[in-house]
Amino acid sequence: MEIISDMLGIIREKGGSIKPTHLMYKANLSHKQMKLYLDDLIERKLVAKEDGKNGNRIIITNQGRDFIVHYSRMREFEKTFGL
Amino acid sequence: MVKIVPTPDWFLGKDILIEAFSFIVLIVFCVLAVRAYKLKKNKGLLYLGLGFGMIALAQIASILTKTILYYDSAPVQALGNAIISSKILNSVDIFYYTGFFFQRFLTLLGLFTIYRLPQKKVISGDYLLIVYFVLLSALLSQKLFYLFHVTAFILLVLIVVNYSMIYRKNGFANTKILIVAFSILAAGQLVYLLSRVSVFFAVGSLAELVSYTLLLVLMIRILKHGEKKRSHGDNIRHVGNNPRKRR
Repeated sequence: MEIISDMLGIIREKGGSIKPTHLMYKANLSHKQMKLYLDDLIERKLVAKEDGKNGNRIIITNQGRDFIVHYSRMREFEKTFGL
Repeated sequence: MVKIVPTPDWFLGKDILIEAFSFIVLIVFCVLAVRAYKLKKNKGLLYLGLGFGMIALAQIASILTKTILYYDSAPVQALGNAIISSKILNSVDIFYYTGFFFQRFLTLLGLFTIYRLPQKKVISGDYLLIVYFVLLSALLSQKLFYLFHVTAFILLVLIVVNYSMIYRKNGFANTKILIVAFSILAAGQLVYLLSRVSVFFAVGSLAELVSYTLLLVLMIRILKHGEKKRSHGDNIRHVGNNPRKRR
């Protein structure tokens, strides 16, 4: 869950769209891990793949943005109670 | 209005409003904790939700009992119409005792659950033993009203000690608010001990109101945090030491 939240955060920080290789490096993931998590994110409709002139890009969906907000709140809640 | 609890006349009904406000704050904390558990699968969050939920139910028990007993409501009218015989009076007594018993029992159990959170195993054999003592304390509080407030005070002090230790580690402003809120709640229990003088009952209730208002402020801070955009470098995973092993 933490990795998923991090990946979405990176995409959002990059203006909502990022190249898969950039995401892989920024999220500090191996290629295998990246594929695994990306498939999961696409399946949950938190991100979408877009084919452009300069290759594939990963785009964060509205659901993905909502997830970051929700996850961030829950993490803050957890931290407050030292859990 | 019928005066049952040591509430000053000018405060009758206002105590119910304070309890209703407390209930709303507690139930929101309960829902938030359960939602956080669903997302993060941290059992501590589930128990936290359980603790807040039990105290919220305790408030409901108190609100219902007081509402029916304070006001000339339909059940009370029905009882009145049924002629004041000793049997009827006994049934009013039973209603009053049952309502406040649940309020006391659930409050103490909820506080104890919150106190146990930092421990690895929240529910274990000694938890059941404490449930028994909490039950005894709630039952005996019908005759010895101060027993409930003393027990609640002790549990709240233990909770404050727990969160103070957590605050020393994390230095987190939200945890500090939590400490202040629970400290005021503990102080309120001490004030309730003097509630034979009715004005102290009102002071105790006001302390509760301040405490739950602080918890509401804390809730707003937590919810607002989610809307803030995370700044670069906030995420420790991106700066070298990745704590997770690669598969």
